[in-house]
Amino acid sequence: MLSIGERLHKLLEEAEREAERKIAEAQKKANEMIAKAKAEAEDRQIRARRGAGIDDLIRAEEEKAKKEAAKIMEDYRRKAEELRKVPDDRFKESVDLVLREVLPK
Amino acid sequence: MNAESMELEVQLIERTVDKRNALLARAEEQAKKILKAAEQECERIRSESERQILTLAGSELRAARDRIIGRAELEGRKLLMLARDELLSSVFSAVKAKLKEMVEGGIEAVDYGEILLKLTVEAITEMGGEEFIVAANERDLKYLKKNLKKIKDRVKTVLGDVNLRLDDNPIDALGGVIVRNSEGTKIYYNTLEGRLRTVRSRIEAEVAKTLGVI
Repeated sequence: MLSIGERLHKLLEEAEREAERKIAEAQKKANEMIAKAKAEAEDRQIRARRGAGIDDLIRAEEEKAKKEAAKIMEDYRRKAEELRKVPDDRFKESVDLVLREVLPK
Repeated sequence: MNAESMELEVQLIERTVDKRNALLARAEEQAKKILKAAEQECERIRSESERQILTLAGSELRAARDRIIGRAELEGRKLLMLARDELLSSVFSAVKAKLKEMVEGGIEAVDYGEILLKLTVEAITEMGGEEFIVAANERDLKYLKKNLKKIKDRVKTVLGDVNLRLDDNPIDALGGVIVRNSEGTKIYYNTLEGRLRTVRSRIEAEVAKTLGVI
């Protein structure tokens, strides 16, 4: 039968072991995560050097470019709409200019 | 065991439990830090890898982007060009409508008869020669018949006396004349539609500038 002091000492020892186990487990998981990331990165680079695996990148770039292209088209549409809103006086001035040129002096 | 000893024992137990909890909490905290650092390292590895791959695939990615953006730019410019063309066409259509109104005598300030005479004299003097046949639409022919002498007089100052005949077959035109020499080797188109076409090709840019679309 353990004394109360011994039991408390044992409790602390167990807690220390538990703490060490937790840290070791986290470290192990961290090492695995890093190793996996490294392996994946290396694999992607090897595939990219062979020209494979960049299809996804190209698709992503195309998607990005398509969004940009849609913006560009929207800008041009807006400009075209603006063009059509010619003030009446300018339109009349243009008609008069053409008319002067068409009619003999 | 007396009360004092019991109290000491309880305090000892409490301190030990606190110590145990603190120990485990510290371990928990440290484990979290380790995992967070690992996640950051993984992210760094992935980013670096991505950067290296982008360098490797750079030219292909640029080509894909340029193809899509280039097409959009081209289509956009085409859209603007169409809008400009539509606007210019509407100006020339308005001019044509005004000319029609003019030849029908709908504009009081304009003497279309005088315009017709000028168009005829201009065509004859530009061609040069002695004998001319003038063709016009039915309405204009009637007017020209009545004013043939006036035309001859005006031409005389430039070319001297000329022989001038009117073609009895009316042409299909808004207004103006088509003048040819008697041999038919020289023809001068001075119809309003023809002049409008010529003017369009000559001053389209100036009109666009006046409209403020270039």
